[in-house]
Amino acid sequence: MSGQLSLQGMDLPRRNGELAFDEPWQATAFALAAAVVDHAYGGDREPFRQQLIKTIAADPGRPYWESWTAALEALTETLPEPPPAS
Amino acid sequence: MSEEGHRRTAMSPVEQRVAALEALLTERGLVPEGFIEEITRRYESEIGPMNGAKVVARAWVDPRYKEWLLAEGTAAIAELGFGGPEGDHMVAVENTPAVHNVIVCTLCSCYPWPVLGLPPAWYKDPPYRARMVREPRALLAEMGCRLPGDTEIRVWDSSAEVRYLVLPERPPGTEGMTEAALAGLVTRDSMIGVARL
Repeated sequence: MSGQLSLQGMDLPRRNGELAFDEPWQATAFALAAAVVDHAYGGDREPFRQQLIKTIAADPGRPYWESWTAALEALTETLPEPPPAS
Repeated sequence: MSEEGHRRTAMSPVEQRVAALEALLTERGLVPEGFIEEITRRYESEIGPMNGAKVVARAWVDPRYKEWLLAEGTAAIAELGFGGPEGDHMVAVENTPAVHNVIVCTLCSCYPWPVLGLPPAWYKDPPYRARMVREPRALLAEMGCRLPGDTEIRVWDSSAEVRYLVLPERPPGTEGMTEAALAGLVTRDSMIGVARL
């Protein structure tokens, strides 16, 4: 995917976008969720999304990335046990 | 305070929790070496509104592409090389003089990542998520997007099934511009629908 996303030849400044992450821990939390989706759920994003919806609904005023982290913690507790190391 | 205490307080509670998650998930073999750095780099430098801007500019200059985009968003967007997480079912909605479209996610923060990147902070906040459904015209005006009273506003609630992208109107006076120059005019907010060009 990343090969196709090359932006060479398109000199578009990122004035359109905010920085994706305000602090490094947010980027880490984001990437960890991607890791769980990819490597524990075979690319199925729905379990994390449902957990995120529940977590936000439980405390709507909480800052977004903290809800994200809480959702990831909750989902991590329910992950299937990994197969024994060979 | 002991030196260890100092070190502990250097990390905020949420940073400690994320560090604990990282350690736990890494131990379980779910976080390959370099994975976090790669994901972060990709979302900070390759995936963002500049991708959606290319889609919009193509639709402006190529009527057949525009027709395809409105009929089969995911496929037309993939044609330009954009796809992947959160972009499985993308639908483009077209602004016209009579209709203004705007996107929201009332439940969480669903957003068309491949074409817009990660959502801005306000998109994820409760006031936007609630008010864009309840009183879109007033909220749009507060955000600087004042619409004529007879313009119909359509609010699209994103979900796991469908992610929307607003196709803004091509600004007048841009007839001679190249596709690349046009892409430079397209803002993130215009593709969310909280601004006009």
